[in-house]
Amino acid sequence: MDPEARELRALEAEIAALQRECKMLPKPEEKTLSGARKSFQKISQSDSEELESLKDLKSQLGHLKSELSFLSKLTGINIRNYSKVEDIVDTEVTEKDTKKVLQRHRLSGNCNMVTFQLEFQVLEIETKEKISSVITDLSIIMEPTEYSELSEFASRAEEKRDLLMFFQSLHFFVEWYEYRENTFKHFKEKYPDSVYLSDGTCSDCMEIHSARQPGFELMIVWRIQIDDQGKVFPKLDLLTKVPERALELDKNKVIETAPLSFRSLLGVLGIEAALDSLIRLFSAKND
Amino acid sequence: MESANTLCQGGECKGGVLAHLERLEAQVSRSHAKSEEPTVQEKESSLRTKIHKLRQQRDKLRAEVKQRRARVKASSANEDPNKTVEISEQEVLERQWETMKATLQAYRFTGLSGKLTSRGVCVCISTAFEGNLLDSYFVDLVIEKPLRIHHHSIPVFIPLEKIATAYLQTDIQHFLFSLCEYLNAYSRRKYQADQLESDFLPFLTGPVQRNALCNLLSFTYTVEQGCQTSFSARLVYEDLTASLPTDVTVTWPGAEAPSPHWEERRASHEVLFRTKPLHQVFASFSKEVEKLDLSLVS
Repeated sequence: MDPEARELRALEAEIAALQRECKMLPKPEEKTLSGARKSFQKISQSDSEELESLKDLKSQLGHLKSELSFLSKLTGINIRNYSKVEDIVDTEVTEKDTKKVLQRHRLSGNCNMVTFQLEFQVLEIETKEKISSVITDLSIIMEPTEYSELSEFASRAEEKRDLLMFFQSLHFFVEWYEYRENTFKHFKEKYPDSVYLSDGTCSDCMEIHSARQPGFELMIVWRIQIDDQGKVFPKLDLLTKVPERALELDKNKVIETAPLSFRSLLGVLGIEAALDSLIRLFSAKND
Repeated sequence: MESANTLCQGGECKGGVLAHLERLEAQVSRSHAKSEEPTVQEKESSLRTKIHKLRQQRDKLRAEVKQRRARVKASSANEDPNKTVEISEQEVLERQWETMKATLQAYRFTGLSGKLTSRGVCVCISTAFEGNLLDSYFVDLVIEKPLRIHHHSIPVFIPLEKIATAYLQTDIQHFLFSLCEYLNAYSRRKYQADQLESDFLPFLTGPVQRNALCNLLSFTYTVEQGCQTSFSARLVYEDLTASLPTDVTVTWPGAEAPSPHWEERRASHEVLFRTKPLHQVFASFSKEVEKLDLSLVS
């Protein structure tokens, strides 16, 4: 066969194959039309529903966000992260009609300057008469860790699995903490020459130096304690630093009895007034 | 033989016409044959045209197929990203919604949770004794000037009025936390008394007398079952925000003074009741009994 005939044959074959393929692939105009029709259908049919539900969802989200921020302000406790890890249904039915569900929760957030991370388990026992929930395990991580009173309190709460008391006491502790900080700041501003806060306003000590008598110093130690029952209360103590010579001269034992007198002063005047009078007394002190 | 030859004078005439006719005939048949069989030249040129035509057709088809293939590829790539973007926005929002709902629920573990209402807020106060979650109460607040309580489920013997007068208008947080303190303390006292009645009946020699506020308890009990002597205890909880009594008196029943042994016990019980929750004190009693039993057995 001569080359031209061969070429003819080859061309014919190729054309046949291409024609077959063309048939299989959709025509371009058809494709776009159907594509456009499809997406238009989506828009008109479900997209309007989708848009509606998205709008609805967004407005619900907004409502939830405002609820959360309101609660956070109301309680002073800001929950940043929360997750329920597992729901194990205890199928071991010991008594009739008793259903047991074990839930694991993880919660973290902050109450002002204190951040916490909690993991706890709640066991829900449902009988015919009632549903009871018990916290069966509690672990608390708190920061900052410098507040020894807080860490002791946290381990006690863990032992007793008293989650609620943890939050309640935390709230009151933070309240007292802020009050102490503001009080110290106030006195530092009012009597800048006499009041010294060597550890800053966040510490638990306030020093009163006598401008006239450099050897004389008073130190107020203000601790915030949390008792066994979760009650938060302040405990203030007065420490004196006085040169030996002055002690010898102190016939009336004023300095010795100062701490006790301070306690009674507190009881009478309250914290702010007692501190104020003490500072003024010391600044004006002449002996 | 003049006749055949007489017609044609030229000599060739007669043979010439016939031959001429024969010659014409041959010509005609020759031209017919020529038109049926193309010449080699004609043959070659038509093949070339055909090839040329086919080549054109093939190129056109190639381009068409390429175009269609490309379009299919492009559209399949284009369709999905748009779809996934839409879905994931929805999904993301839905997940956010779920998380927020759950976080709102989680607030009940802090003791205070709530829901915004059309008028203001409905606050739910939960109570617990150590790990045992107990009753919750609600206060429905209307946010207007002045702030007021629309309705609530606080028991009558809790001094709601007093707390509201003191804090509601000036500091809602303080109002709620104070109320929380009272309710929790009440719940805890109630829980202790309930536990005593349900779990430690064998130790009680009489009914437990209590008031609604559960801040006044009176009962008689023995330390060991079967023992004749029973103490009578009176617990007063003056501090309504506390779940431990402020005042405890344990008295010896008889008219005569108790022996030193019993006196010691009486005094220690007073201390116990003042420092430990009621049912836990009795739990320690039963542990002592167990220890005694064990020692007797061994």
